[in-house]
Amino acid sequence: MFLNHFEYFAPKAPEETLELVGRLGSKAKILAGGTDLMVVMKAKAISPEYLIDINGVEEFKGIFCEEGKGAVIGTNTKLAEIQFSEAIKAKYPALAYAAGEVGSSQVRHMASLGGNTCNASPAAETPTPLVAMGAKVAVSSLSGDRELPLEEFILGVRKLDLAEGEMLTKFILPEPAQKSACRYAYMGRRDAMEIDCVNMAVNIELANDSETVMEVKLVMGSVYPRPLVSREVPALLIGQKLSDELIEKAAEAAQGEAKPIDDIRASAEYRREIVKVLARRLLKEAYAAAKGV
Amino acid sequence: MKQLIELDINNRVYEVAVDARDLLLDVIRKKVGLTGTKKGCGEGDCGACTVLIDGKPELACIKLAIACQGKKITTIEGLIQEGGALHPIQQAFVDYGAVQCGFCTPGMILSAKGLLDRNPHPTEYDIKHELSGNICRCTGYKKIIEAVEAAAQVWSKEGVK
Ligand SMILES: Cc1cc2nc3c(=O)[nH]c(=O)nc-3n(C[C@H](O)[C@H](O)[C@H](O)COP(=O)(O)OP(=O)(O)OC[C@H]3O[C@@H](n4cnc5c(N)ncnc54)[C@H](O)[C@@H]3O)c2cc1C
Ligand code: FES
Ligand code: FES
Repeated sequence: MFLNHFEYFAPKAPEETLELVGRLGSKAKILAGGTDLMVVMKAKAISPEYLIDINGVEEFKGIFCEEGKGAVIGTNTKLAEIQFSEAIKAKYPALAYAAGEVGSSQVRHMASLGGNTCNASPAAETPTPLVAMGAKVAVSSLSGDRELPLEEFILGVRKLDLAEGEMLTKFILPEPAQKSACRYAYMGRRDAMEIDCVNMAVNIELANDSETVMEVKLVMGSVYPRPLVSREVPALLIGQKLSDELIEKAAEAAQGEAKPIDDIRASAEYRREIVKVLARRLLKEAYAAAKGV
Repeated sequence: MKQLIELDINNRVYEVAVDARDLLLDVIRKKVGLTGTKKGCGEGDCGACTVLIDGKPELACIKLAIACQGKKITTIEGLIQEGGALHPIQQAFVDYGAVQCGFCTPGMILSAKGLLDRNPHPTEYDIKHELSGNICRCTGYKKIIEAVEAAAQVWSKEGVK
């Protein structure tokens, strides 16, 4: 299992990286943790001519979390750092939890948050809660930066809104609203080292009465080519106080929206059942957490 | 095209000629000659190739050697104590019968060290969760978990490095 030949670059600064990304174009791949890239290169599924290793660039790493100001997370921040970050656990528990459920301890110490998104696998763990929280990404090139919502950045299986010469540089997370909560859950055959057969995140924001739903976002992973944001759940729940019947109706609506496929991990039919189970559970949990009970 | 790089493995600097595509696992085993680090799946799934890089468990089978310059690499050979004694985690694995064929053991012990360095008082859940990337086909895991729990006790008492 040898890798094909490639030329290796290890830039030390963002501008140097962007210059390489611009000059080498589609013949190059960015190497972050390599937990996806090395595996596909070993399988000879792809053979890039150049690798741009971004691990020497300090500016691409780190969690910047300020009271009242959301958070900024560098693309090459390792999932283990997010999993164990006290600031992320306090403010974005769904993200810390999802990061901690990726692969194994070794994978999490290598893998980056940006790599999890850029790999653009429908089963990826962290894009689901990030989309539910309304995260944006910053995409940079030599000619400047642009920001866009993460849900618009991931276009489909292995497809991103990323032009030649551009790379993802950071995630921008909004400050969670007062009286809001986000929760994440997944289902696979075993807990560890398993690619999810369905994952889901629910973010609920309540009105001042702490009971009426003001905003709700339900995002499903692994049931569509990219994270699927439910349209029907907000239509059913906004302006309502939640009851078991209403939650059941919303869970069925989410189930109707999911477009899962059969594959080696699960059948489409099973996945649709799981969507309902997770939706019911997460709506209850997030609602209770937003109420503060 | 080969180039000379320096790798700091177990506090000793090795100068090795590598190609950009050479994987850390192959360099450690074949060029440096430390064969304690095992090659299982070669795809990141089994944990047999686990080494510590700057103290954190990583998988040498999907890591480029050239990317490890300037980092501190620890393999199972590096856990040896003064006078050749076993490291407390190794001793606990022996005491609790957590080694059968031994193929998974170096990776298991390094993952356990990564865990205990960060969290010296792990719960059983913490141990299972953080060691889930190390697969053992022999022991059934119970004895491994007991060994790590026992090592944690020694850790708290003696503050081992
Ligand atoms: C054993 C094992 C278990 C796994 N389990 C899970 C799991 O449970 N859940 C899960 O979601 N994933 C899992 N994965 C997949 C993988 O670990 C994650 O997707 C990880 O987050 C990828 O991050 P990385 O830094 O290693 O990416 P890399 O492999 O370095 O990169 C992935 C891709 O993204 C590109 N890329 C990286 N950074 C950027 C950037 N800043 N801008 C543009 N392109 C970029 C790379 O060129 C490459 O194409 C597993 C992998 C392994 C080996
Ligand atoms: S040999 Fe590296 S994880 Fe199996
Ligand atoms: S002791 Fe044989 S694989 Fe673990």
